[in-house]
Amino acid sequence: MSLRPFVVAWKELLQLRRDRMTLAMMIALPLLQLMLFGYAINTDVRHMPTLVYDQDKSAESRDFAASMVATGFYDVVGHVESYTAIEDALRRGGARVALVVPPDYGASLRAGKPAHLQLVVDGSDPQTVASATNTASGLASARSTELLLARLAASGNAVEPVGLEPDTWYNPEVRTAVYVVPGLVGVILTMTMVMLTAMAVARERERGTLEQLIVSPVRPVELVLGKIAPYILIGYVQMTVILLAGRYMFDVPFQGSIVLLYALAFLFIAANLAIGLFFSTLARTQQQAMQMSFFFLLPNILLTGFMFPFEGMPRPAQIPAEALPLTHFLRIVRSIVLKGGTFDDVYLELLWLCGIFAVLVLVSSLRFRKKLV
Amino acid sequence: MTEPVIVTRALSRRFGDLVAVRDVSLEVQKGEIFGVLGPNGAGKSTTIRMLCGILDPSSGEGRVVGFDIRRDAERVKERIGYMTQRFSLYEDLTVEENLKFYAGIYGVPRNRRARRVADVLESAGLGGRRTQLSGTLSGGWKQRVALASATIHEPPLLFLDEPTAGVDPVSRREFWEQIHRLAHGGTTVLLTTHYMDEAERCHRLAFIFRGTVLDVGTPGDIVARRHLRGAELECEHAQEAAERLRSDPEVDEVAHYGNVLRVVTKNDVDPEAVVARMLTGELAPESVRPVRVGVEDAFVSMVRADEMAGDAGALKAAS
Repeated sequence: MSLRPFVVAWKELLQLRRDRMTLAMMIALPLLQLMLFGYAINTDVRHMPTLVYDQDKSAESRDFAASMVATGFYDVVGHVESYTAIEDALRRGGARVALVVPPDYGASLRAGKPAHLQLVVDGSDPQTVASATNTASGLASARSTELLLARLAASGNAVEPVGLEPDTWYNPEVRTAVYVVPGLVGVILTMTMVMLTAMAVARERERGTLEQLIVSPVRPVELVLGKIAPYILIGYVQMTVILLAGRYMFDVPFQGSIVLLYALAFLFIAANLAIGLFFSTLARTQQQAMQMSFFFLLPNILLTGFMFPFEGMPRPAQIPAEALPLTHFLRIVRSIVLKGGTFDDVYLELLWLCGIFAVLVLVSSLRFRKKLV
Repeated sequence: MTEPVIVTRALSRRFGDLVAVRDVSLEVQKGEIFGVLGPNGAGKSTTIRMLCGILDPSSGEGRVVGFDIRRDAERVKERIGYMTQRFSLYEDLTVEENLKFYAGIYGVPRNRRARRVADVLESAGLGGRRTQLSGTLSGGWKQRVALASATIHEPPLLFLDEPTAGVDPVSRREFWEQIHRLAHGGTTVLLTTHYMDEAERCHRLAFIFRGTVLDVGTPGDIVARRHLRGAELECEHAQEAAERLRSDPEVDEVAHYGNVLRVVTKNDVDPEAVVARMLTGELAPESVRPVRVGVEDAFVSMVRADEMAGDAGALKAAS
């Protein structure tokens, strides 16, 4: 083995050091994404603007409205006196939910008769519907149980028939950040690794230095090794930045072995670099390389389970998603970071990554022929 | 006699239906400055690429610095220097870093690397620009750095593909002095150029046109073989005079700059006699003087002859 890979890596590092913009981007990008996904994007629906159309105006009706506010899901933004007012508010977007209390609500309850409440929900956003109705129906059934038990207690027969005690593990407070931050490690690595390698080779092609290298005795494997080594280093820096920021800004716990995660990440980074190299064999210019990388990013965000649950996707979407390294790395990183997963828990995903990597290296080196510029 | 630095036999390269290089047979001796001339797209770069071992010939064979270009391409690459008109330097690296990089790539031993870099910096007069970023250098300086990079590993053979394109005359002159110094020291140089004054500074030349070598020899031999003679005349109605002269079968070429005409005749015919015969009356020139014919005239004449032959062949085939 010659020293040429080191010479190439030394040159890449020198160029990186001069390219302050790229260097700054590589550190700023993960932080920026972390802020965006960690703070801004929140799939837990909270503080939905809510109207109350209370035709009853009883102690019972006020009580129910107050219990809704107490959940934190609903913010009462106003009281109205007609369905037309509700319709207007929903259409304008001033409110997403409206609670309608019929005039006989309090009286029926006091008389021990069944009482009905109505919840009007803006269904244009499906995610809102589920949260809004689930929470409210939970409240209603809790109130029913309460009344039922009170009545049974009066007859001296107080026993709750079926109780479900939910116990959420690994992320007990169900915070989105806890789920998103480890996944973000994978997304950021995919984005920067693919783009940087694709552009690093396209840049040499554009400036004519690739031809100079092809005429030199440097072998393709030496060139590739030397070119990607500095980027592997950068990948690890990015990963560390995200994990540290996640730990201290979002209280994301780290349950498993950090050594295991860093070791397995190597294969994931390598797979992404191989994808970048493959793109670089297709792209003639840096701009094309950039476009390909962005095009590649989209399925990675949508299909891998980063944003939407993998299990929820139809089968035809799951099959291509299995071919993306990120799908498997997400399972690895979430298992290790959130659940304290060990090697035995993730080795299957590791096998997948090995397979994908082998195919990519084969395809890239077939494309990366040294003869002919 | 030792083996020539470059030997090729019937070297050809096809790209699909297009024959880019056809049956090129050349020999270049040690220490020679060998020029390859030809219009754009004639097959010069394809030939150089085959000789460098980065493009396999479709047929024919070649040995460069003692190695087969097909089987031992990697050995060839270690022993040649290569420089293109694009001066492929890393613009975001300093002059010295570029040289160190290529020294490393070409496997200059570690203990000799610093010495070599210092030497080429010195001989190229680049000492003062050691730490300047290559991207901020002017064309002439970039060319010096590119040549220094291409020779950092002291290759016995140097390929220069249009090395002086876009470089000012003073830099060009200094560049040629450097090339002759290298050749004097035993380095063989093969270069392509469009500049005829540069062609005349080569020891030997090959003319390539449409992928075929039309002639090989010293500039003097090549010109002599064409049996051309030239004259320059001043004439008031230059346009008509030029038309009139072109109609004469003995005239090879008439170039026309303002009211000065440069006429070249074939078969050693005296151009002044042709002028006297063809230009009479109001077309009669004010003055006529003989001029030396050069490589450019020979080149134009050869291309023209080949084109005519090609057209005749095409006509024959069509009929």
